[in-house]
Amino acid sequence: MELTLLAQGLVSGVLAAGLYALVSVGLALAIGVIGVINFAHGEFFMVGAFLAYQLFVSLGFDPLLSLVFVAPALFVIGALIYLSTIRYVLQAPELNQMLLTFGLSIILQNLALLIWGGDPRSISGVPYRSVGLQVAGVSIGLVPLGSFVISLVLVVGLYALLARSRLGRAMRAVAQNRVGASLVGLEVDRIYLVAFALSALLAGIGGVMIAVIQSPTPTVGFAFTLKAFAIVVLAGLGNIRGILWASLAVAVSESLVATLVPNGDSLRNAVFFAIIFVVLIVRARRTA
Amino acid sequence: MRRALPDLAWTLLLAVLVALAPAAMKALFHQASVSYLSLASNAMSLAVLALSWDLLARTGQLSLAHAAFYGAGAYSAAILAKLTGVPLFLALPIGGLVAALLALGLGSVTLRLRGIYFAIATLAFSEVLKAVVQEIPTGVAGGAAGLNVPPLFRPHFVPGAMQRWEIAFLRNADYFYVYGGLLVLAILVSTIAQRSRLKAAFTAVRTNEAVAAVMGVRPARAKLLAFVLSSALVGTLGALEAERLGSVIPDGTFAISTTVFALVTPIFGGLYTTLGPILGAGVLSAVEETLRRTFAEGYLIGYGIVLVASILFMPRGLVGLANRLARRRGPPPPGEDEAVRTASDPGAAESGEAP
Amino acid sequence: MLRVDALGKRFGGLAAVRDLSFEVAEGEIFAIIGPNGAGKTTTLNMISGLLEPTSGRIRLGARDITHLSSAERCHAGLGRAFQVVQPFPEMTVEENVMVGALYGTPGTREREARQRAEDALERCGLAPLRSVAAEELTLLQEKRLEIARALATGPVVLLLDEVMAGLRPAEAREAVSLVRDVRDRGVTVVFIEHVMPVVRDLADRVLVMDYGRPLITGSYREVTSDPQVIRAYLGAEDEGADQDPGAEA
Repeated sequence: MELTLLAQGLVSGVLAAGLYALVSVGLALAIGVIGVINFAHGEFFMVGAFLAYQLFVSLGFDPLLSLVFVAPALFVIGALIYLSTIRYVLQAPELNQMLLTFGLSIILQNLALLIWGGDPRSISGVPYRSVGLQVAGVSIGLVPLGSFVISLVLVVGLYALLARSRLGRAMRAVAQNRVGASLVGLEVDRIYLVAFALSALLAGIGGVMIAVIQSPTPTVGFAFTLKAFAIVVLAGLGNIRGILWASLAVAVSESLVATLVPNGDSLRNAVFFAIIFVVLIVRARRTA
Repeated sequence: MRRALPDLAWTLLLAVLVALAPAAMKALFHQASVSYLSLASNAMSLAVLALSWDLLARTGQLSLAHAAFYGAGAYSAAILAKLTGVPLFLALPIGGLVAALLALGLGSVTLRLRGIYFAIATLAFSEVLKAVVQEIPTGVAGGAAGLNVPPLFRPHFVPGAMQRWEIAFLRNADYFYVYGGLLVLAILVSTIAQRSRLKAAFTAVRTNEAVAAVMGVRPARAKLLAFVLSSALVGTLGALEAERLGSVIPDGTFAISTTVFALVTPIFGGLYTTLGPILGAGVLSAVEETLRRTFAEGYLIGYGIVLVASILFMPRGLVGLANRLARRRGPPPPGEDEAVRTASDPGAAESGEAP
Repeated sequence: MLRVDALGKRFGGLAAVRDLSFEVAEGEIFAIIGPNGAGKTTTLNMISGLLEPTSGRIRLGARDITHLSSAERCHAGLGRAFQVVQPFPEMTVEENVMVGALYGTPGTREREARQRAEDALERCGLAPLRSVAAEELTLLQEKRLEIARALATGPVVLLLDEVMAGLRPAEAREAVSLVRDVRDRGVTVVFIEHVMPVVRDLADRVLVMDYGRPLITGSYREVTSDPQVIRAYLGAEDEGADQDPGAEA
């Protein structure tokens, strides 16, 4: 039965990796294309979760349906935030960007606290919430599976967007050489706007899903921001494909420890960050 | 070091003010001075936090592990109090020492990391430390529930008729003095680093490590020194706060908010200076307190707005703003004379004139 | 004074520098020239410790410095000015030079450092600009700062990397006399250069590199009339002209 437990841990980890990857990829877009250290990224995630919650509670919207509304809403919110603040710190030192986005994070978090209070809110009462499959003794929740699939589709879709589409190519050009890109006629500011709004959208979608899986509070955003940063850094700045692997590595490790080690659930964070730490240190030694 | 004298004079003045302040406050504000003293202690605590973070940032090491060293100091005090009979006052420097040793370790392994990589590595370290402390046997460190810490100062009587608030006042005043002392120490360290050869080394390493090395600066030494000094200060602060708050608990003592405040304050006030972190701490503490009293709920939204606005309108912090204003009305900066103009004038250069 | 034996550097499959050996005598002005990509800056980077050689040895005086850190080499007497100027932009001219003065030789006291910095500033004509922020300097001033800062470290051997690039003829002449002055005060100079008149005027001896290998060492006249060298530059060497653009980039 150890084996089943192991398998369960693996499966849960893989499923969770999807969400991690989705949120991280959005952040990677902000850091890579725009060059902004956005410590408010997780708040888009949180806003998505609470918007979905509110839509559910007030209008009875099924989360899948609310995706249709939340996604563009987050796109607009991201765009507005870019236009009103982010745009002005693009050339500023990293620390200034951190301070600005911390400020934004505080504003958003406390707005949410004001509106929804500090208690955990979840979209319960959705029919398929507790449905799951049983495969060889391993239970696979329908919702985690669904969110994994959606996340994967979005991440792969983003990758394809970057690699093939005009917009994607423009983003990559701007990421690599801002001045050069503008010299060949790319409207850099517009591309930044789209990239940022897109990163908010991706995080927001992740938020909708977490609202069904867990019971988020307004402070959940920041925790995800930190984890997203860790994953982006683990994959290596500019390496979007690596984010999938990095997310998998940490999510599975987290899950395995939580499942196999007694009292392991409280060690989740520790495992996550221990891996990050070790990899960063070892990698630094190797490139020396 | 001679350049440090004027700053040392100011610091001495500050020390004197700190010594006299409680009595002055009591005379002016009577009962209200009890809470004012407490607020002042909080502001000084933030200033120490800010000064220590700024010190480390001068070498280009942007640490997200500040809470870890704060917590290390706090837990050292707690564990010392629980397991040994060490006097509470000694726990302060011991807390600083423990944090310093920890910083030596972390600093050594992260030497090759830069920028965001360094930041995330330190963040990771902080999170892991928090979890490790939680897993230490409850008999030693209290596990997830934490430990109680005996206070450094208890309310005490002075012979003569005393009102209740006067007892609390005395206790708060005692803490005020200790915080003041720690602040003065932090200012001294920060000033000396700004006025001695250390400034050259720190700035060079922050700007361009490779070039600094070619000029003979040993980057590792500079970075580790900054790390150790910075962490010693925060560790001592942590121990002090543990003894003032009366308890330590993993989630609270190692909370990331400590780190956030530590880095927000000097950026707001003005990085790589001594005045900046202090001003930033004073202003931000005042702002937060004012907001809290005006809007009971959601006052932090205002705080966030202040931060966002500050970066947009004062990118170099309060100190930068002051400099900009001073420059606008003062004489042109020194050095702009014939030589500069001649050098950039093609005609003069052609004739071979050496500026 | 400076001796390089069988120095080599591979980047994966590419040998940027191969089997390079040369010796610079004390008080010499030694030039390293060659087409773009010949490995000149790589060589200088290896000598100053920014790059680890894959093979070979470097000796400064009697000391083997092959495995010393950049800072240690500086303490041993090696100074370096960079091709792309690398001032510390937020510091003033004086502060920049003070970095070298304070740390170039271990155990320097503040007063001593000030004197050395002052001396370096004077010699490079930067004294009037001492309080100007480095980021506000013109290119020529920045180059002078590079040299002043390196001089302040008290070097026995000074490495200069294409200092003349971007300078007008009058400025270049100034720089030449500065380098001569440096040598006259007892510093051995090793410099990389593309501007041939400067090499002709300054160099006691010249080393030509091509494709990472040493071609020939000799006086300016000797190397410029050598057929191998001419071929490497793909064309006759013209006084005052840069090398042929057809040369390997």
